[in-house]
Amino acid sequence: MARREVGEINAGSMADIAFLLLIFFLVTTTMEVDAGIGRQLPIKLENPPDINIEINKRNVLEIMANSNDQLLVENKWIEIDELYDIVLDFYTINKVNKDVDINMPNYTDVDVNICNTEINKLNVLLEKDPENIVFKTEKNKWETKMILCKSIDGGSYKEMNKQAIIQLKNQGGTSYGLYMEIQNILKQVVNELRVLECERLGFPDYFELKEQNPDDQEYIAKLRVLVPERIIESKIDR
Amino acid sequence: MSKFRKGGKKGIPGVNTSALPDIIFMLLFFFMVATTMKEVDMQVEVVKPEASQAVPIENKDDVDFIYIGFPIDAAVGTEPRIQLDDRLAPNTRAVGEWKLLKVREGKTVVKIVTSLKVHEDVGMRLVSDVKEELRDINAIKINYSADKIK
Repeated sequence: MARREVGEINAGSMADIAFLLLIFFLVTTTMEVDAGIGRQLPIKLENPPDINIEINKRNVLEIMANSNDQLLVENKWIEIDELYDIVLDFYTINKVNKDVDINMPNYTDVDVNICNTEINKLNVLLEKDPENIVFKTEKNKWETKMILCKSIDGGSYKEMNKQAIIQLKNQGGTSYGLYMEIQNILKQVVNELRVLECERLGFPDYFELKEQNPDDQEYIAKLRVLVPERIIESKIDR
Repeated sequence: MSKFRKGGKKGIPGVNTSALPDIIFMLLFFFMVATTMKEVDMQVEVVKPEASQAVPIENKDDVDFIYIGFPIDAAVGTEPRIQLDDRLAPNTRAVGEWKLLKVREGKTVVKIVTSLKVHEDVGMRLVSDVKEELRDINAIKINYSADKIK
């Protein structure tokens, strides 16, 4: 029997099939890349500890935005583009020179000895109350600080006052756009300061650090100690 | 078979289209790589704010999206509304229930980021209510969606 010649497949409709697929993808997909500013909300504790510490006014940067999108910072009406310098001052003005501005948070030196005493104190507390989450996180923090001290030449670093916070207050009518501008400025200051710390201490590039990466976690923890990001948002009054 | 065509019309030869599928496939692959699937049909209009510090969201599988904006369908009203997946939420309470239903197997709700895509003119009351609702169910990782600018 003679071999039958296999006929060539007609590829004329190949283009149509590809077109169909192409149009399907054009319709169902978007070019948009999702980007955003990540934040963590405070954990809701079942029995919140009684905090009745008097907080020094110098440690609080109060940023208020009202329903007309006006900004009141430290009891002064300001424009949004003035906020960057105010936040930067809040972080840095007393860091280099000691107590230049007594209305801004102070910095203290932390070294290995201080870390040791604090960890010992917390160990005593944890023995009495092993499940206390506040003590546990506090102990973790001091252990990070200890590692940090040991890795820096001279064995100490300047720490911003532990109570220093930025307080955000909004009203119901404050626009989300303004809120995001404030958040963006806060993030910008922290990012820039952390980049500087990275350069000073010879850490890898700050923007390349990834929390999922176990090698980077230590760097991130150290940077969080060096340039803390403490933002408290008050509830909107009803 | 004559060597010289007599009287026959001299047609222009057709363009060779055998490379057309290749070109189309190339376009197809470009779009497959460069784009992402649309998550939902938008029921609300969202003009995102701009932010210079925005960073791209890495693994979208572990992110839930909440849209807050003004309804596109005028019959719904003009007040800002929350959109969860393809539907408008009746109230803020629905956010918590929706979020808990969406928890992936083997993950806790704490680990799954909630991305808030909010229209820049929406008031903070609604946003704050949603955040409070998320905090109640311990979904504390959030991401304020914004367009990256230089």
